[in-house]
Amino acid sequence: MALPVHKWTMIIDLDRCTGCGACVVACHAENNVPVQTEREITRLRAMHWIRIERYWQGAYPDVQARFLPVQCQQCGDAPCESVCPVYATNHSPTENLNLQTYNRCVGTRYCQNNDPYKVRFFNFFDPDFEDSLTNQLNPDVTVRTAGIMEKCTFCVQRIRRAEEDALSRGVSLKDGDVIPACVQTCPPGALVFGNLNDPNSQVAAALREQEQRSFRLLESLGTDPAIYYLKGGSSHA
Amino acid sequence: MTPKITRRNFLRFATLGAGATILAGCANPRRWVTLEPYVRPPEEQLAGVATWYASTCRMCPAGCGIIVRIMNGRALKIEGNPEHPLNQGKLCARGQAGLQLLYNPDRLNAPVVQSGRGSHQFRAIAWEEGINTLFDKLQGAGDQVAVLGGSSMSGHLYDILGRLTSAIGASAPVIYDPLVSMNGYVALKDVDMALFGKAALPTYDLGNADIVISFGADLLGPGLSQVRYGIEYGKFRSGRLGQRGYLVQLEPHQSLTGAKADLWLPVQPGMEGLVAQAIIDLIASHSFASPDPLRVERAKLFAGPVDLNKTAAATGISPTELLHLEQIFAEAERPLAIPGGGLSGLPDANASLTAVQALNFIVGMPAGGPGGMSLSPEDQLSKLVVKPQPSSFSDLLVLLGKMKAGAVKVLLVLGSNPVYELPLQAGLAEALAKVPYVVSFAPIVDETAAQADLILPDRTYLESWGYDVLSPAFDLPVVSSQQPVVTPRFDARSAADVLLTVAKGIPAAAKVLSWTDEVAFLKEVIAQFPQGAVTGDNGVIWERYLQHGGWWPAAAAAPQGPATMQALPPPPLQVAAPQFLGDAGQYPFFLHLYVSSLLSDGRGANLPWLQASPDPLTTVSWQTLVEINPATAQKIGVEDGEVVKVSSPYGEIEGYIYTYPAMRPDTVAIATGQGHIDYGRYASQHGSNPLLLVGAQPAWASVRVNVTSTGRKVKLSIFEWKPGVEEGFPNQAFPGG
Amino acid sequence: MPEENISRPSPTERGLPYWEQPLPEDKELAKQETEARKDNLLLDVRAPADVNRYMMDPMRRQSRRFWVLCVILAGGVLMWWGTWLYQAINGIGVEGIGRPVMWAVYIVNFVYLIGIGHAGTFISAALRVLKFEWRRPISRAAETVTLFALSMAAVYPLIHLGRVWKFYWLLPYPNQRQLWPSYHSPLLWDPTAILTYFSCSILFAYISLIPDIAMMRDHTTGRWQAFYRIFALGWRGTEKEWAHHETTQNVFSYGIIPVMFSVHTIVSWDFSMALQAGWHSTIFGPYFVVGALFSGTGAVIIALIVLRQTMNLKFFLRPEHFNGMAMFMLVLSLTWDYFYFNDYMAPWFAGAPVDRTLNILLQSGAYAPFWYTMLICNALIPALTLWSKKIRTNLTALFIVAVLVQVGMYLERIIIVPFSLARNELPFSWGVYTLQAPETMITIGTFCFLILAYIIFTRIFPIIPLWEVYEGQALHGLRKVGHYLLHLKSAE
Repeated sequence: MALPVHKWTMIIDLDRCTGCGACVVACHAENNVPVQTEREITRLRAMHWIRIERYWQGAYPDVQARFLPVQCQQCGDAPCESVCPVYATNHSPTENLNLQTYNRCVGTRYCQNNDPYKVRFFNFFDPDFEDSLTNQLNPDVTVRTAGIMEKCTFCVQRIRRAEEDALSRGVSLKDGDVIPACVQTCPPGALVFGNLNDPNSQVAAALREQEQRSFRLLESLGTDPAIYYLKGGSSHA
Repeated sequence: MTPKITRRNFLRFATLGAGATILAGCANPRRWVTLEPYVRPPEEQLAGVATWYASTCRMCPAGCGIIVRIMNGRALKIEGNPEHPLNQGKLCARGQAGLQLLYNPDRLNAPVVQSGRGSHQFRAIAWEEGINTLFDKLQGAGDQVAVLGGSSMSGHLYDILGRLTSAIGASAPVIYDPLVSMNGYVALKDVDMALFGKAALPTYDLGNADIVISFGADLLGPGLSQVRYGIEYGKFRSGRLGQRGYLVQLEPHQSLTGAKADLWLPVQPGMEGLVAQAIIDLIASHSFASPDPLRVERAKLFAGPVDLNKTAAATGISPTELLHLEQIFAEAERPLAIPGGGLSGLPDANASLTAVQALNFIVGMPAGGPGGMSLSPEDQLSKLVVKPQPSSFSDLLVLLGKMKAGAVKVLLVLGSNPVYELPLQAGLAEALAKVPYVVSFAPIVDETAAQADLILPDRTYLESWGYDVLSPAFDLPVVSSQQPVVTPRFDARSAADVLLTVAKGIPAAAKVLSWTDEVAFLKEVIAQFPQGAVTGDNGVIWERYLQHGGWWPAAAAAPQGPATMQALPPPPLQVAAPQFLGDAGQYPFFLHLYVSSLLSDGRGANLPWLQASPDPLTTVSWQTLVEINPATAQKIGVEDGEVVKVSSPYGEIEGYIYTYPAMRPDTVAIATGQGHIDYGRYASQHGSNPLLLVGAQPAWASVRVNVTSTGRKVKLSIFEWKPGVEEGFPNQAFPGG
Repeated sequence: MPEENISRPSPTERGLPYWEQPLPEDKELAKQETEARKDNLLLDVRAPADVNRYMMDPMRRQSRRFWVLCVILAGGVLMWWGTWLYQAINGIGVEGIGRPVMWAVYIVNFVYLIGIGHAGTFISAALRVLKFEWRRPISRAAETVTLFALSMAAVYPLIHLGRVWKFYWLLPYPNQRQLWPSYHSPLLWDPTAILTYFSCSILFAYISLIPDIAMMRDHTTGRWQAFYRIFALGWRGTEKEWAHHETTQNVFSYGIIPVMFSVHTIVSWDFSMALQAGWHSTIFGPYFVVGALFSGTGAVIIALIVLRQTMNLKFFLRPEHFNGMAMFMLVLSLTWDYFYFNDYMAPWFAGAPVDRTLNILLQSGAYAPFWYTMLICNALIPALTLWSKKIRTNLTALFIVAVLVQVGMYLERIIIVPFSLARNELPFSWGVYTLQAPETMITIGTFCFLILAYIIFTRIFPIIPLWEVYEGQALHGLRKVGHYLLHLKSAE
């Protein structure tokens, strides 16, 4: 039974996002993302596949923080894909995802230079997982070594498991079968994930109903991202 | 131990075959390894397929339900339990990091005795020896035993401790950690008792409210129930068609909640209560709004004369803004006033908290129903289960007094780290010196364990049995279940089991603690529960309780409104401007101490995920920041990354300057959490502990400080590019309003 | 036919080799000829045996200073290899890069070294095609700069790789997994262009070397002779061989010019094909080529000045050559000025926020000192100095100007690579590049290798193409026209 084409899409509701950072830690846990020491962070090597960009709007006393969760936008027309000399990053046609093949990466780092969102992270050193902490590592996700570029994959391992599961049971994927770690943990429900090709999915419904609030990050660059943001504040009733 | 095959034994045998081999292979890479399949694999275990076990998160006192992904005997991922009434499948950053506590490399793998307090010369001993030593000391101490615990303690352990101490004639356990005071558990309960006749924590139906005025409450940050309020916040914003709630936040330093507010007002520290009083006075005199006359009448029970200019001068909120607040609050259908934990740290905490809760009373609370304030319903279970009662700071001082007087021979410390957490003026050091024997149950050597004579490392929460009576619970009373999701590491013994074993040797205790182990105790407790939402008839209560993550009733009890609640006559309300400790000339700034959203009160500092994740508002990791307004920084001549000394009348710490735009210029803000000298490789030698700036009184939120530069500079381990965020693209509006 | 009135050379003059022609009797004309000989190499005719001697003497015996320099440079090379090994074992993290500045000094070095290689080809090929005769003695020195600069440049993509032991995945070779590298990526166009350029250059240089190797073969004995005999490929200097040689040189000259233009254009497309601000500019192609020629010319000038002084090549390298090179450098400086203006203008005019941020950063921000230094070195100083023939022919002054041009062009690449990467559309992710020891040590080490290889080359192979000099001296002559001796060249 052939799998239909999934257009995996994420909606990030900026009105709901509280900036709490649960998604950041959940992603570390799910994807074996290494932790960086204080010294490495001062050298601009912090690694967080999803990050909460915090901007300031206004000046004291009319100043407030604004949160923007940013992870790999899974661009339909990804600038990072065409510049990899070894096809370590390429597009998956069946699911409109930007894939990263860790064992193929030779570490030229051109993809990060060409990525306007700067959501790619390079392993400058071998990750240092203390002995007992390796027990926690997710066996569904390769642990990367020095010289390899990594980034958010929309928890492709969860997508795969759900697909295989559905295939083995002879059913098709339903909305809600696949849920990345960040989406699953988000308390205010700011992150919504699903298949945009399914008109009954949450993401399709959200985009239909909240079209006036939706925008995509750096859309003018022509990257065709798969993440839609919904404007926050009093921009909607 | 019972001879029955319990789940944990099952797990142990099952994982021995594959787990031990794999683990051994990982530890010592050899050329040849032996692969052994399960001889008789348990029914639910399939290699490569995960099993999920439900338990309760114990990273803070909220008690969210979790499910843990187990594969091949290892815990891989924690998620929120979708069935749990409190967190409904969601989980915060601290909850996600619990795995690193389970697998922390600094965990003690055996009980140890220390050959000199503070020497760190630990000698590992067998469990039998450790338990016998504890038994000897307890037997010899008679009734001169004291217990100090933390607020995340399992209810059954508290129950056992309570029975033990009362059996031997010692005083009840003292439950105290910084979250108790910084969240204001005791103070809030006292106010609710006085106003509503019930000593219960308030819960706020944020999801259905229309106007919310928060007096410094960081609901969306580490407060009373971060995950649940996060869920509620989502509903508050866009869960209801055509309705988007309006949130006002009053605080001197912008928290996560302040960042999401529709109106953020930088109120002078400690003056939140005065604003609440002003609103009450305005409603009573219905100066501006035309509220429900019933509200006016109720307001008159608390109100005094209106003096807007005086209030404006004291609080920093202009008269126009005060009138605006009164109008939106008084005319709203479902308004909420939420007190912040910081109010409980003021000298006149009671008056400030009463003013805020009075606002809720004025608009008809606790009525239950959507959009209102209600009182946490856990007292409905008080006959069935025991839950830890947080102690006030005065109770703690009483304990310290006893210790200093030499009236305590044995001190047991569980789930609390007083050497790190208490202010120096409390005199813990002298008190400990007068206690001949200190026993710590910490799984990782923390500052208090480093001053103990014997450490019997407890299991971490993912390997423990227990229950948590949620407080605050929202619409339903909930007893959240806890079970080991993996075979306990190092064959660690739980504190409850150790105490039950010891109790058998003390005749008075043996009578009241006759259970063979904690599981038997728990089963008996749970068995008496009535039919609930997920538990079936009596036969399968225990199994369903474990499987679904707890017990809760199928439907909420009837809401308790003023008709059924007896509102006692409120006291005359006089919120006074707080006196800050420290001379204003010598200490020109107000200290705004706040709980770190990742490190909590310091308990999260040994987890690398929490240390390395960027703090949501400053994006800094691993360091202690002294946050000041950029104008203030310029005035005193410091810049980002400068190492400064922050001194209060009670202590002095070092920190790094971080210019924070959204805070008052007269305030210095420091987050708790760093400054450990023990507690593992990830916690120690990072940053400073701002709790050292506080004196030995309950008023932790009214301290003044001074900031002086040491002349040194460091690089902040910061994730954002701070100059860019501050200067970048001034003409480009941030999409999002 | 009035044959008796035709003036013919005297019997003494006819039959003498061109280098034995005596000075004219007329004192005035003799003076003119002496002046002309002093100024012009191709008129300062000597016996080929003498010319050989001028070249071979410095190659034979080396001063102690030379060996000390070799040892020092070899130390530098070892430092390079040691640091590279350390970096490969420990990880790229020992470098100063971080997010978002993922490329820094290694790529700058790569671009810089490819750049200086261009002048060599231009002098040996393009100037040959354009029939600029003053390129004769300098073409091999320039071409050698190209060869060694290119080989060092080729190492840098390996040095900057995260997993250098997997470098061969960048090469298209058939494998069991049927994986090929991606030609969508400019990083694959680079090696294609560079390898083409390198192989053409090396062949071109080698073919030009053959007659001189044959000369060395004929003037040495023992092991050295055996060595030269192999590489001389049996050259006998027959007319047929010279004719083939000429044809081959022509083919290569014409062929390598488009390759030269393409190489740095393709290297520039590493940047202009990217979305990164400060990189995404269509002018990069010609801009980089001009910049390359500019810095390359400066590098060749430096090499020639050093060679002239240390190997005593004053016979071959005369003020006229440096004058020509310096004029060429001036033209390139002015051209570079235009292209840089173009590159700067378009984003400035469009006013996209990120480009404006970069511009402000350069004009008045943290990077202003680098920007202004670059402009002074590349635009101002050549424009102020190279107009003057006195400066152009004063070797000290010219050396300083050429060094400043190198500094300026290196800074230009620094501004393009790590400085531009530090800014992008989302200010949260801006950054900075901090130079660390490994980059410095590897940079110094590779330049040590470049210099060491070069100076060893000059001691093995003649660095002046002697056959070109003979050819030039044979073809050029002074002819009396009226009262003057005119410098004329015979037809080929």
